[in-house]
Amino acid sequence: MWRFFHSIKAALRFHDYRPQPVTFGAANRWVKQFDKGDRKTAGRLLDKVIYLSEVNTRQILVDQNAALMKRLAAAGLPAKKLIYVQVHAAGSSSPVMLNILRDAAGLERLGCRFLDSRDSLGLNKATNEVGEGALIYIDDFVGTGNQLCGARDFAIRSVVGAFSEFLVVPSICEEGIYQLAQRGIVAFAGHVHSKAERPLHDNSTLLDKETKERLRLVCKGISPKMSLGYNELATMVILYRNAPNSVPALLRGNQNQTPFAGIFPRTTDLPLKKVG
Amino acid sequence: MRGLKPTQPEIPQVIPAGTLRHLSPEEIKPSTNNPRLLFDPDQLQELKKNIGEHGVLVPITVYQAKGQAKFSILDGERRHRCVLDLNKEGHLGRDGRPLKLPANVVEPPTKIAGLLYMFSIHNFREAWELMPTALSLKIVMEELGEQDDKALTKLTGLSEPQIERCKKLLAFPERFQEMSLDPNPAARIPSNFWIEALPVLELATREIPTLKKLGRDRATDKLVEKYRARKIKSVIHFRRIMESYDLSEGEPNTRAAVLRRMEEFFLDPSLETRTAFDQFFVEKKRVQTALTICEEFLHQLQQLKLTYTADDEERKNLRGALRQVREYCKSLEQALRGSDDPEVPQD
Repeated sequence: MWRFFHSIKAALRFHDYRPQPVTFGAANRWVKQFDKGDRKTAGRLLDKVIYLSEVNTRQILVDQNAALMKRLAAAGLPAKKLIYVQVHAAGSSSPVMLNILRDAAGLERLGCRFLDSRDSLGLNKATNEVGEGALIYIDDFVGTGNQLCGARDFAIRSVVGAFSEFLVVPSICEEGIYQLAQRGIVAFAGHVHSKAERPLHDNSTLLDKETKERLRLVCKGISPKMSLGYNELATMVILYRNAPNSVPALLRGNQNQTPFAGIFPRTTDLPLKKVG
Repeated sequence: MRGLKPTQPEIPQVIPAGTLRHLSPEEIKPSTNNPRLLFDPDQLQELKKNIGEHGVLVPITVYQAKGQAKFSILDGERRHRCVLDLNKEGHLGRDGRPLKLPANVVEPPTKIAGLLYMFSIHNFREAWELMPTALSLKIVMEELGEQDDKALTKLTGLSEPQIERCKKLLAFPERFQEMSLDPNPAARIPSNFWIEALPVLELATREIPTLKKLGRDRATDKLVEKYRARKIKSVIHFRRIMESYDLSEGEPNTRAAVLRRMEEFFLDPSLETRTAFDQFFVEKKRVQTALTICEEFLHQLQQLKLTYTADDEERKNLRGALRQVREYCKSLEQALRGSDDPEVPQD
């Protein structure tokens, strides 16, 4: 009974997960892969998923950005002084988030600028023209912050003038906040993902020790190297576009989804579809 | 060449706002230039020891960018780094609390003042990061309307050869400059490539009709293509081309052969630099002779025991001659500098 309940709930909550829709059947099949004794816990684990749907994501981006723009305007920085920076290649999360925000908040009409963190010459010219302003990095999720900070550290070499730095992001891990703060980047995030919210994380007490250990073993069986995700973050935030690489393996499943099929496979975890 | 004149724009200064505060290191945003890469670890260790014993005696200079809670450092990066480390290690000040930094809080610097400060740090940078420095220099030149190397040296603290190198980089169109700014080190064309290639390009597009017709940009494309195909194994090998040309002076047949080979080198992507030009010069023998001459020159001068020369006229003449030698040696030594960039894969 409870398995059906959790599966229905999952299908309702996560139905717009893009890489692979979460249907009642998919959720049910996912739970059934666990040993009988663990199925209830696996179902309950889904309750701990922090799911950001497309609507949520857009709203968070718009709200956080509005709060940031308000703060910057009060500090004497109008929209024309703001440079929005995407931090990954075209087609990945950051440019998509920037497009959503740009359109939803009408940033183009307000006179904001948009650049790619790898466009050194563009950054050099734009910051030279603006002289004093703010750089606003955009992403969908920040885990350790390593990737974002790497891109930022490269970009900042080309910046001329006095620029404050911010990040607008739907969700960020507490580890990422620390990493960004070291660089003086202030995060405007809809959700700060604490370690306590991650049932399989060392610092979480959401599950009793024994159950946690058993589920961690399942993760290890699926992916010995990435059992708890990148840097063992064991995050539980899932975005409608894709799951971060820091989620536990039992949510993602194996590469090509065999032998263990995840409920939130990343786009790159799915088998390639034959074309033609 | 125009020197520093009274009409020259004033060097922008950071104007102290006159507020002295005591800031914890966490309230300060580290420089965007990673100090661990820029500062001598031994000196940093010495400073840390000193700060551990006496605290920070000289205030650092910081500003607060608009909208930013933390303070950005204008001067005092090393002191900040030391205090941060000491606090992490659990070191306490005389008051029994974690160390703080006295900080002179100034207005945000103007763009140029900020750039000039940045130059003082960039001086420590490795050659492979020369392109961002060149772009910053371009802004300084445009904003201050200053082109003169000596004046720019005074403004930025960069040496004249560094400025010359930056100007060479800026002589290339932006699409080539971008190749040296690629975030992927494996795909990045090192700054030194352009610096070493420039005289070859100038020579080739001046002396070889087909390359003149091709135009400098397309000729540059040919070299880039060759470099990416690993047919230019070291950017220093461009010097072999120039050397081959110079050595053929007064020998019309050899000169014509060098130019033909140069044309072939540009147009045939598979032709490697050394394979193409090694036949035209005998570098080792000449360098060996020069080394012997240097040794003998020094030995002979030492033998002459000139330190105690008393006659005024003789001393004047000797100093004049030595200055000439020094100038020549300095220019030669600078011309011989240059290397491949650190991340360039080597065979």
